[in-house]
Amino acid sequence: MSTKSTTVRDSLTITDERLRTIALYVGLYGTAALFLIPYWYMFATSFMTRDLVYSEVPHLIPWDVTLYWYEYLLANSLIGMWTVNTLILAGVTTVVVLIIDAMIAYSLTRLEWPGRRVIFAVIVASFMVPGIVNLVPVYIIVSELGLVNSMWGVVLPSAANPLGVFMLVQFFKDIPEELEEAARLDGFSRLRVFTHIVLPLMRSALAALGLFIFIWTWNAFVWPLLILQSETMYTLPIGLVTLQDNLGVTEPGVIMTSAVIASTPLLIVFLVMQKHLVRAVEMQGTTK
Amino acid sequence: MAQANQQTETSDSGGIDLSKSSTRELLAGVTFSLPYLVIAGLFLFGPLLLALYMSLHDWNALEPGQSEFIGFENYQILLSDPEFWNALWNTVYFVVLTVPPIVIGSLLLALGVNRDVKGQWFLRTVFFSPYVLTVAVVGLLWADIFNASGLIPYYVGGGNWLNSHSLAMPALAIATIWWQLAFNFIILLAARQNVSDRLYEAAKLDGASTWRMMRDITIPQMQNPLIFVVIVTFVGSFQVFGQPFIMTDGGPSFSTTTIVLYLYDTAFTGRDFGYAAAVGYVLFMILIAVSATSYYFLSGDRE
Repeated sequence: MSTKSTTVRDSLTITDERLRTIALYVGLYGTAALFLIPYWYMFATSFMTRDLVYSEVPHLIPWDVTLYWYEYLLANSLIGMWTVNTLILAGVTTVVVLIIDAMIAYSLTRLEWPGRRVIFAVIVASFMVPGIVNLVPVYIIVSELGLVNSMWGVVLPSAANPLGVFMLVQFFKDIPEELEEAARLDGFSRLRVFTHIVLPLMRSALAALGLFIFIWTWNAFVWPLLILQSETMYTLPIGLVTLQDNLGVTEPGVIMTSAVIASTPLLIVFLVMQKHLVRAVEMQGTTK
Repeated sequence: MAQANQQTETSDSGGIDLSKSSTRELLAGVTFSLPYLVIAGLFLFGPLLLALYMSLHDWNALEPGQSEFIGFENYQILLSDPEFWNALWNTVYFVVLTVPPIVIGSLLLALGVNRDVKGQWFLRTVFFSPYVLTVAVVGLLWADIFNASGLIPYYVGGGNWLNSHSLAMPALAIATIWWQLAFNFIILLAARQNVSDRLYEAAKLDGASTWRMMRDITIPQMQNPLIFVVIVTFVGSFQVFGQPFIMTDGGPSFSTTTIVLYLYDTAFTGRDFGYAAAVGYVLFMILIAVSATSYYFLSGDRE
C-alpha cells in the first residue's frame, strides 16, 4: 500500500518535472528564435534581389542572392569613410579614457593626499547625472572651444568616465601594494611605478573597461549627431540615419545592408571577446 | 611651504622613509588626478552649473552676454506648456511599456539560462548580443519590420504601426525591449550565479516548493542587483531619444515625442537654449525622484 502510493507519487513528480523541463526549453528557445528573427531579416534582406525586397509578401529567405546592395552602397555613399572615422574615434576615445581613468584611480587608491576621499565621493555621485541634462551646456562649451565638427569635440566630452574610475578603483583594491613599495624603495619615480608596475598589473581590468568604452563609443548616437556636421566626418550610426533621409524614400535593401556593415564588426568582436564584455558588465552591476 | 617641501626631499632621498601625506605625495596625487578633474570640470560639473544658469535666463544663442535674467520664468512657462506635458506623458507611457517587460523578462531569462539547460552558451550569446548594436541599427531595422510592407503588419496585422496613433509607441517599446534586455540579463545572470547553492539544498531538505524558494531565497538574495537593474532601466527609458528620432520623428502628430526629443528640438531647431536647459533640469529632478522612490520601495529600508 505505502510502496504503491510512493511509486504513484514518484511517477507523478517525474512527469511534472518533465513538463517543467519542456516548458523551460520551449520558453527559452522560443524567445531565442524571436530574438534572432530581426538579425536574420537584416542579413537576408541585404542579399536579396530588388524583386524580392519589393515584393508584396515580405520574404525571409533570399532565393535570389545578389551583392547588388553592397556594391551600390560602396559606390554611392561614404560608408567606407564612416567606418574608418568610427574606428578612429572609438580607438582614440578608448585610449584617452583608459589613460586618464587609470591615472586618477591610481592617485585615489595609492597616493595619500588630503581631499582624495571627497573627490572620489563626488565622482561616484556624478554617476547619477544623466548625460541628457548636460546636452545643451556641453554643446555651448564645445562650440565656444571651436570644437564643433571635429573629432575632439566628440572625444573630450566623453573622456572623463566616472564608471571607469569606479571600476578601476575597485580593481586597485584587489592588487597587492608590496610590488609598488619595493619599486619605490629601489628609487623608481611615481611615473615609472605607474607605467612599469601598475599598468601591466591591471591589464585584464583595462582590457574589460577598454572593450566596454570602445563599443560604447562606436555606437554613440546623440553626441556625434550634434557635433559632426559634415558628411565626411560622420560615424557609422550618423551616416546610416542620414542615408535614409538623403535617399528620400526608404530603400530597405540599402538600409539593411548599411545596418549589416555597421553592426558586423562589433558582432564579431562580441563573439570573440564575449567573456571580457560579460565581465565588464558584471563589474558595473556589482560595483554600483 | 618651501621648507616642508625641502624636509620631505631630504627624508625621501634617505630612501627609507616613504612618508605619506607629504607635500610631494600631494603633488603627485594632484598631478595624476588632474587630467580627469580638468576634463570632468569642463564637460561634466561645469555644464551642470551652466545649465542651471542658462535655465534662469532668456538665453541669447548668438550673444550669450546679452542674455536676460528672468528668474524661474522658463520653469513657469514649461509648467503651462501643453507640448511639454504631452512629451512628459508620452515618456511616462513609454516607461510603463518598457520597464516592466525589460526587468521581468531579463529576470526570467536569467533564471532560465541559469538552470541546467543544453546550449547555455548559445542562449546567453543570443540574449546578450543586441547589447553591441547602435540605436541607429536598432531603429532602422525595426522601422523596416514595422513598416507597411514589413514582417509585423504582414504576420501580426495592424498596418503600418509607425503611422498609427495607438501602435507607434508600442512599436518603439518592442524594439527597445529587444535591444535593452541584454544588459540586465547579464547582470541578473551573474547575480543568480552568486547565490549560494547551499541555501537551496537546505530548503529542498525542508521540502520547500520551487515557488517558495524563488520568493524566499532567489529574490531576496538578488535584491541589490535587482534594485540596480530597476533604477538603470527607469533612468534609461526616461531618456529615450534615438528610437523615436529615427523611427517616427515624434509622430504621428506628436504621439511619440518624448521629453528628450522635445528638448533636442527646442534647443537645436528652435534655438531656445535657456528653455531647453530648464527642460533638462526638470528631467533631472524627475530621474532623482524616480530613482529615490524605486530604492525606497525595493530596498525595504523605510526608516
